[in-house]
Amino acid sequence: MSAVAQEPAVVLDRIHKQFGDLVVVRDVSLTVARGEVVAIIGPSGSGKSTLLRCINLLERADSGRVEVVGRAVEPGAGVAGRDLAALRRSVGMVFQSFNLFPHMTVLRNVSLPQERVLGRSRAEADARSRQLLERVGLAAKADTYPSRCSGGQQQRVAIARALALDPEVMLFDEPTSALDPELGLEVLAVMRELAADGMTMVVVTHEIHFAADVADRVVVMADGAVLEEGTPEQVLRSPSTERARRFLSAVVDR
Amino acid sequence: MTGLLTSWGEWLPRLLEGLVTSVELTAASLLLGIPLGLVLALLSSSRTRAVRWAAIALVEIGRGTPALVMLQFVYYGLPSAGLSLTAFVSAVAALSLTTAGYTSEILRGGLQAVPAGETEAAGALGMSHRDTLRFVVVPQGVRIALPSLMGFAILIFQATSLTFTISVVELLSQAYSIGAATFRYLDVLVLAGLLYLAVTIPAGLLTNRTERRLSRHL
Repeated sequence: MSAVAQEPAVVLDRIHKQFGDLVVVRDVSLTVARGEVVAIIGPSGSGKSTLLRCINLLERADSGRVEVVGRAVEPGAGVAGRDLAALRRSVGMVFQSFNLFPHMTVLRNVSLPQERVLGRSRAEADARSRQLLERVGLAAKADTYPSRCSGGQQQRVAIARALALDPEVMLFDEPTSALDPELGLEVLAVMRELAADGMTMVVVTHEIHFAADVADRVVVMADGAVLEEGTPEQVLRSPSTERARRFLSAVVDR
Repeated sequence: MTGLLTSWGEWLPRLLEGLVTSVELTAASLLLGIPLGLVLALLSSSRTRAVRWAAIALVEIGRGTPALVMLQFVYYGLPSAGLSLTAFVSAVAALSLTTAGYTSEILRGGLQAVPAGETEAAGALGMSHRDTLRFVVVPQGVRIALPSLMGFAILIFQATSLTFTISVVELLSQAYSIGAATFRYLDVLVLAGLLYLAVTIPAGLLTNRTERRLSRHL
């Protein structure tokens, strides 16, 4: 492998984030290799979503360094508009609440960012959109509005919308938490496929089975810090800290 | 009764002429005032403090000044400062400022009602702030604000009757001069009132219908 291919996809270096006096992320470092799938699990309020949002600068870390495919920024020292745009272009994100644009058809939702961000023509963008909608199993929904789609379908559209910009890393922020279990499965199936195709993924989730089956590495967070980190085998079967054991027994044994 | 109807028939052409002027005034004030209101709504949340304050000041002047005072100021006040405008242009200028002030608040409410998650998603997709406003926030915000804007349009249509005081020959002014000539103020003012209603009632119904139609996708 060449040096470029070995360079990690994401490097978080001593990320610290607090809201007022509340420290949400405490000097967390994390490296994600290209093609790796990392699942971040942990109790609510453990800072896992905030950490994820620090990667694409939806939250600006107070201190620390964020590096995505070789481009580094120090959010605490300010971020130039050009760096922000470059970083956002290489990172796709899927939210818990889908966040589709309700006044646009499914097709427009997927095509508009391609036209505005990548400068693709309407025809090029639509062709790519239809191809991606096909891939997430929603070719037939292209001309409907998001409100006519189930939650699971909306989330798959959101995935297609992010993929349409050819990101190098995909971030998932509890993508199935707002869905009932059956609809969640559709979304997880798309994510499994994406992982199998070699996409670099960072997934904040409560889906312990997904973490066990799909992730290359599982990170357990609590109180703004990383408690455990390792292969799903290690972390889920034999956690080394008491706090992680308690959390895992709550999610695994239910 | 037939006497009244005959008189109304005689007066109607002049009153209709006035009504057309009232409608023109309304249309011009809305066409200038609402876009200005949208600009002020966007600027009033600008990240630059000076811009934000200037926008808020203009909004407060537009909203805080009674329309009647605004009309007098533009028509009788500005000539002393070297700017003389015709009655109609003065009326459009004054009512546009009032419109801008009020509609900027209505539109700001609409823009703020667009879920923050969508703005965030647009940012995460790499869309610029400007594109996010243009394609995501403004189209939805205006749609949310539309019923209130239409309600405001009806109010500004009624406010055109104030331009009678700066000698714009609109509906009330026509009615008044007929009254002065015939001394039948009551009869002519009733007809004028009916003509105002002939515009405001259908407009109100249209507002309700629009409100229902727009709630479909949201």
